[in-house]
Amino acid sequence: MPRIAKERDRLLRRTARVTGFAASATTLAFLAIPGGLAVSVILVVVPMVLLLFVCQYLVGQNGAIRWVLPIVLLGNAIVLIVAFTSTVGLGLNVVEEAVIGCVAAAAVSSVAPVLVVGPRRQVLLAAAFGLTLACVALVTVSANGSVLPIALTVCGWAALSLGGWWIAESVPRVLHRIAAIGRAHQAERHASELEAQRRQGARLLHDTVLATLTLLAHSGVGVSPAALRQQSADDARLLRLLRLGGLPTPSRSGVYTLEPATSSMLGSTLESVKQRFGRMGLDVDWHGSGQVLLPSDVLDSFLLALGECLENVRRHSGVTRADVTISDDDTTVRAMVTDAGKGFDISAVGTERLGFAESVVARLRDVGGTARLFSSPGSGTTVVLEVPK
Amino acid sequence: MSDVSVRATRQAVEEARLARQRSFRRPQRTVDATRATKDGLGGRHLGFGLTLSSGFIALFLLWRFAMQWDSYPTPVPTLAAWIILLLATVATLVLLQRLSNRMPTWLFLAVLATGEIVVGLDLAGYGSGDPTVFPTAAAAVGALFTALVTVRRGREVVAATLVLGAVVAAGSLTAARTDPFIWAPAILTISLCVCPPLIGVSVVRTFRRMVQRELDLVLVQSTVSQPSSAVGMLASEELARIDLDAETLLDDVATGRTALPLSPAKSAAAASLATQLRLHLIEGRRETWLHHALTESEFLGPAVNLDDPAGLAGLLSSAQRDALLLAIWLLISDTDAAEPTVSLVLGPLGRSKGLAIGEMLRFPIQMVIEGVPRRRVDPETWQAIRVVGPHIDTVRSGLLHVDIECSIDNPADA
Repeated sequence: MPRIAKERDRLLRRTARVTGFAASATTLAFLAIPGGLAVSVILVVVPMVLLLFVCQYLVGQNGAIRWVLPIVLLGNAIVLIVAFTSTVGLGLNVVEEAVIGCVAAAAVSSVAPVLVVGPRRQVLLAAAFGLTLACVALVTVSANGSVLPIALTVCGWAALSLGGWWIAESVPRVLHRIAAIGRAHQAERHASELEAQRRQGARLLHDTVLATLTLLAHSGVGVSPAALRQQSADDARLLRLLRLGGLPTPSRSGVYTLEPATSSMLGSTLESVKQRFGRMGLDVDWHGSGQVLLPSDVLDSFLLALGECLENVRRHSGVTRADVTISDDDTTVRAMVTDAGKGFDISAVGTERLGFAESVVARLRDVGGTARLFSSPGSGTTVVLEVPK
Repeated sequence: MSDVSVRATRQAVEEARLARQRSFRRPQRTVDATRATKDGLGGRHLGFGLTLSSGFIALFLLWRFAMQWDSYPTPVPTLAAWIILLLATVATLVLLQRLSNRMPTWLFLAVLATGEIVVGLDLAGYGSGDPTVFPTAAAAVGALFTALVTVRRGREVVAATLVLGAVVAAGSLTAARTDPFIWAPAILTISLCVCPPLIGVSVVRTFRRMVQRELDLVLVQSTVSQPSSAVGMLASEELARIDLDAETLLDDVATGRTALPLSPAKSAAAASLATQLRLHLIEGRRETWLHHALTESEFLGPAVNLDDPAGLAGLLSSAQRDALLLAIWLLISDTDAAEPTVSLVLGPLGRSKGLAIGEMLRFPIQMVIEGVPRRRVDPETWQAIRVVGPHIDTVRSGLLHVDIECSIDNPADA
């Protein structure tokens, strides 16, 4: 609530300032008319108008009453000075009328927008208007002039008071509506976050999509076009399901299930990894127990790491066959990926270049697992992956 | 700190600001959520009030028309001008209510044309008569134009008003009048004609800026209720886009639209998609609410430098988050000076081992504010900072430093 009031007052101050500036500038234009006012009067009034500018600027800065009062007093002083230095007996000339009208109706009334809120300020508004009107009426009657300045004064004050009041009403209205938009947007943000988590959670799916994309990035070399098409069709279908709001998990022989399971069977998912690499031309032989229950996040990481290892075998080993031995005890599930390929010198190549640290080690570490790599040139490669049960 | 390094730091901050200003983009969801209402937000109400207010000016001119009725050679054209003006104003206001605050260009041009007809009739009417007669209806067209300030771009209304002012000026001054005194009523008429729309444009501009800032704030305030780290709306959309691109690519391969083996361009696209996807998935790109608030804000983003390597912002309670965001926002938005900047450094975390159960974790937040002198800092800002934690503020080499000592619940106790 205090912020709303602050924004409202800021807008009202700016309105007062821009109106005041426009009015004071117009007053200066009147003073520049040759022969309108006596030179001595102009010399007194111009500094007063400049002072008005200063006060109007300061009202625009902070809207304080201590800058409002000088504007009212200065303005009325100008009105009186212009009127009572007029040539006696001839009444006010049109320039004098215009100056009085302009100062009373706009330069002084420019304070109205900052006085429309709050009972004390409203009393001050009424007093300022009364004083100004009284001064204008006095000079009109005493000089027997036209009623133009009075009419202009009434209209000017009415316009600025109403305008200021209306602006003061507009601001809380719009800010309440903005607050409503904010609440709606909070729901959007929540939905967006859930969406992101759902997509990030579909790790197994992204795992196979990534593998396929990587194959495509190498122009599908080494894989039969038919197999690649089949794999692409499977993955595109999974992505479509994901987009439509499901949580698809790749599983055996092209049957997709929407399972929000907290734990999954290892056996069926290992089969899908095997199928995938089979299509790419790497035969994977499974050994050991095939029915291990793992929490789904651990399972995802485990399978991703396994898939990355097999991908490395496929790309770098030079052989078309790999062995994976799965074993488990009370606390740990272990996979040993072995190939009889050309191997490499670990110290010479560095694991970073294989993306091993990033794709395998980091992923396993997330779920409390480890990975070890053994290889030497000519004698194949072995990777041991371990995750907690 | 030496002068040279201060200058170098400032330059780096300035460059970072420009880079962020250039790359600023709102999440699509946010755009959708706000687009429906943003253009007309509060505009109808304000526009009606401004029109009503300038109606008093028109009232004065009408009174003046009545006063000089006897001085016209024939008052009929001017009377016709007033009647047309009145009908046009009513019709415009009614249509604006119907058209939900979006004024089509044809209607805008129609209003301008009507305005010119009114001016033409009025100027034809007073013609070569009495030298004390001045345009009335022509000047009141300014009030009609004020009705347009909330529904058209400011510069269009300003241009139309200036043309109107020039025509009225020409009309007032070209008549054979040698007496320079006559300039006074002419200047009065011209300023009554051009001031209402120009002031209206200025008010609406300030109003719109306020609405935009407030909107920006409430949109990023929703980050306060996030968990300690989150993916964020932008990253979420990015991931959805990558998934869709991948789906399209794979589908094209599957259906044979893309021939195998892939062309170099296509395989490069696949490689880049795979890289982006890996980045989004493996790194687990999660950031604190404060990071999201800053990147999603048009005002805060360019002006705030955040250094929070440990993600400590995520540990703040929701009251502390709300206060911290508000404090930054007040510092940035509550000044007329050009472009203040705030640098935030969170951490390092204090003693975290061997704490008794229920004992609070502590870390400092260091704020360095440039471009806002201490006396211009709003009391509300200090109040917000106090909610975040006890603070000490100092001014060193022209920069305001605020060091806040934050206490947070130990997550290990939960």
